[in-house]
Amino acid sequence: MPPEFADKLKQSIRDWSGVECPNEAAEVGLSDFPGLLKELAALRGTLVFEDEPSSFDAALQAEKEPAR
Amino acid sequence: MSALTNLSMIEAADAVKRGEVTSVALVEACLARIAAHGGQVNAVIRLDKAEALEAAAAVDKARASGAVLGPLAGVPMMHKDMYYRAGKVSSCGSRIRKDFRPKLTATVLRRLDDAGAVDMGTLNMAEFAQNPTGHNVHFGDCHNPWNLPYCTGGSSSGSGAGVAARFFYAALGSDTGGSIRLPATICGVTGIKGTQTRVSRAGAMPLSFTMDNVGPLTRTARDAARFLRVTAGADPRDPTSSNEPVPNYEAALTGDIRGLRIAVPQQYFFDGADDIVVRAFDRALDVLKARGATVERVSAPSLRAVAAYVALCSRVEAAAIHANWMREHAADYSILLSARLFGGYAVPGHLYVEAQSRRGPLLRQFCAEALDRFDLVATPTLRTRVPTLAETDVDADATNWQRCMAVSANTRPFNYLGLPTASVPCGFDDRGLPIGLQLAGRPFAEARVLSAADAYQRDTDWHARVPAL
Repeated sequence: MPPEFADKLKQSIRDWSGVECPNEAAEVGLSDFPGLLKELAALRGTLVFEDEPSSFDAALQAEKEPAR
Repeated sequence: MSALTNLSMIEAADAVKRGEVTSVALVEACLARIAAHGGQVNAVIRLDKAEALEAAAAVDKARASGAVLGPLAGVPMMHKDMYYRAGKVSSCGSRIRKDFRPKLTATVLRRLDDAGAVDMGTLNMAEFAQNPTGHNVHFGDCHNPWNLPYCTGGSSSGSGAGVAARFFYAALGSDTGGSIRLPATICGVTGIKGTQTRVSRAGAMPLSFTMDNVGPLTRTARDAARFLRVTAGADPRDPTSSNEPVPNYEAALTGDIRGLRIAVPQQYFFDGADDIVVRAFDRALDVLKARGATVERVSAPSLRAVAAYVALCSRVEAAAIHANWMREHAADYSILLSARLFGGYAVPGHLYVEAQSRRGPLLRQFCAEALDRFDLVATPTLRTRVPTLAETDVDADATNWQRCMAVSANTRPFNYLGLPTASVPCGFDDRGLPIGLQLAGRPFAEARVLSAADAYQRDTDWHARVPAL
């Protein structure tokens, strides 16, 4: 992970949340992010305008096992 | 070892009911086992000896008087130290809450009390239930009873290790990314997380309000069935709990799985899997096939999105509820937990909303891919051999980060999908550590999941083996 990328994330966290990077492991943890960003970029465009979190409860009901 | 501690939870409950053993004798046998081996395993945080013996004596007195006993009457249990009991310390495995005394009692504890279970105290766990290995710098790491230098799996480390070590008959765990199923598989016991919303979370320490689950770790699928029936169901104190009726799960355990259709997703779950795990998994499927199930490999491309989104949800929610402490008491967390929480603050809000909004559509897509033509999905619970405590210790060495986080790769997707998912022991690796079979069903199909798990356990004895401590 480029150091400038981690620095930007840390600055953003500081600005938005007031939380400081606590230790080296936290920096190592941020190294997950480039891979995650790539995966999320591949999913761009899949969210439909009407999608919303409440659809999950409806899906749980809709996908119940049919009675046998 | 006392033969009493080797009973299953149901055998113990039924023996008490029939008058073949007293609850006091069960508690004393468990206390003796803890006294002999508790120090090696470090599963226990607080032992309430006197109260447990008093509760057991009350059960015995009730039986002697002819009272009708509950389905778990007289059975000693201990629970992850994150289920609140009014007036008792609930540390959540942390320094920050080491003196926290809640004013309320968790609904699941009340239900277990009402069923007659004997609560002997609280169990070690990952700090705030947030690591998949069970490391804990505040109370000391919990050790795997099968091979002490190895991790127990987390976050319900004491629950898995204690059930395996025969310290008690059953325990509550919690599961946000695998925290019931991982210690179940790694310690060689049975665990199930129900459908999201199946069990009330009132009075349970929160981690992720969209993915937290309450559930049992037990010796057998039948034990889990009874435990789940006692604890599941709507709860006015938890408005997210489901109104779906709770069936008699135990009645579904007939051993007859003829015609059961099992899907094995080709994607994701076997990436980087160890051969010894895959072989044990395949042999487990052969056992189910011999009982009349069919198994087919399926393609489930939705898993790529599921794996990406699940990485965001609990991380962001945990970051939000820990923000005050992260600002003011970051040094009171373990290195591992503060590092893990820190990343959650970097996720943009719109991506979190996207992850939550895509959850319903992706559940529908996954069911269309893997469950429309099938009854269950099967995978290994942990795709690699069990790691040691040392090689996953992030506090000791930050470069262990990836190895630690990889432990929950196969369990996390089912939290995002909200599906009922169990893990049962299906073998041992070349270092004597257990291997687990993970079975997931459609929403609210806990009975079918447990039925297959029970059928498997009728033909195998992995779950009955006892670690030599």
